[in-house]
Amino acid sequence: MKIKMERLVPAGIDYKRELNWLRGGLIAAFIYSLGFFIRFMDRYGSLFRVLVGNKRVLNENAVMPDYVDVLGDAILLFLVLALVMVALMVYHYIYHFQGSKSIYLMRRLPDRWELWRRCLTLPVMGALTSLLAAAVIIIIYYGIYMLATPKACLSPGQWHKIWNVF
Amino acid sequence: MLEIKNVSKSYGTKTALSKVDLCLPRGEIVGLFGENGAGKTTLMKCILGFLRYQGEITLDGEPITRKNIARLSFATSEHSFFPGLTPRAHKEFYELHFPTFRQKRFNGLMDFFELPMNKALRHFSTGQKNQFEVILAMSQGADYILMDEPFAGNDVFNREDFYKVLLGILDPTETLLLSTHLLEEVEKFIGRAVLIRSGQLVGDVSMAELEESGKGLLGYVKETYRYKADRVSKALDDLTEQE
Repeated sequence: MKIKMERLVPAGIDYKRELNWLRGGLIAAFIYSLGFFIRFMDRYGSLFRVLVGNKRVLNENAVMPDYVDVLGDAILLFLVLALVMVALMVYHYIYHFQGSKSIYLMRRLPDRWELWRRCLTLPVMGALTSLLAAAVIIIIYYGIYMLATPKACLSPGQWHKIWNVF
Repeated sequence: MLEIKNVSKSYGTKTALSKVDLCLPRGEIVGLFGENGAGKTTLMKCILGFLRYQGEITLDGEPITRKNIARLSFATSEHSFFPGLTPRAHKEFYELHFPTFRQKRFNGLMDFFELPMNKALRHFSTGQKNQFEVILAMSQGADYILMDEPFAGNDVFNREDFYKVLLGILDPTETLLLSTHLLEEVEKFIGRAVLIRSGQLVGDVSMAELEESGKGLLGYVKETYRYKADRVSKALDDLTEQE
């Protein structure tokens, strides 16, 4: 079944442009999240000392900072994007007052959900996609953190600490 | 039958409608008259469920809900179409949402008024926008067509055309409630006149009764409104009086 996107946004709105903005936002948020690797490499490098001959050995009692600290604000733009989607919902509603009062038509349609379907679908999809992408990034970066950090330097309870943050 | 029983509406402390009782049977063309702020638009918005009100409004005995709302259509001078869409896209939208949409009537009226089908409404002139707004209301396939100052901004020839077309195409079962200030223009076209003043129904008369009594619509309205004909001359005398 083919989904007709133009029926899921307010009539007359260029849904392709809105999808492009969403796509652009997700790409920007992903690029921003790569800052995690800069912080990770910095903290990782400080676990070692360099000996003569460029040989690296692990410092005694070296402890890797917690994952949540290394993650920092890597997912910030995903959260901002989700908030922008709330603003988009409001815009979709206000759209029905711009240039005319098409809200009068929308409010007297036999299908009571039509107005809300058109105002909410794309923003809700965008917000969920953004939050899901943030969750996937947290998990992937967590896996990288756990696999790449020497076991001896890991402090216990990393996963719980993530939940504590939330 | 559209029945309005004891309907009142207030905006804060201001009473917009006060205990309005009105009955609109099928097949009537009713003019709704009153000064600015009298409550004409409020009454229509209450009928359409846009505003909360006290009292009861029913359509053939049933409250107006999503089940029967398609039996009412609405044309307003504020316009209720989508400015970014073309008439063709509106036609598709209406066909999708109103199973009784009258495609033939829509196409016929679009042709008659020579409106372009593939031009976004935002590029139409005010007169064309009004025409299109009325065309949509007429083509929805509704039994009760509510029009609120639909011709504000149209020239006199255009309005004349519209009255003739409306008279010619309305089915005997279609009811038109037309709110307008153009008393003399619609006099020959309506079958009944309803007057509203300060939110109260102050007059309800059939045009046949008016004709029998020898009064014109304007005379009836002035009489009902207790219009003071010498008001203007008195005001002018006061204003031009030497100090």
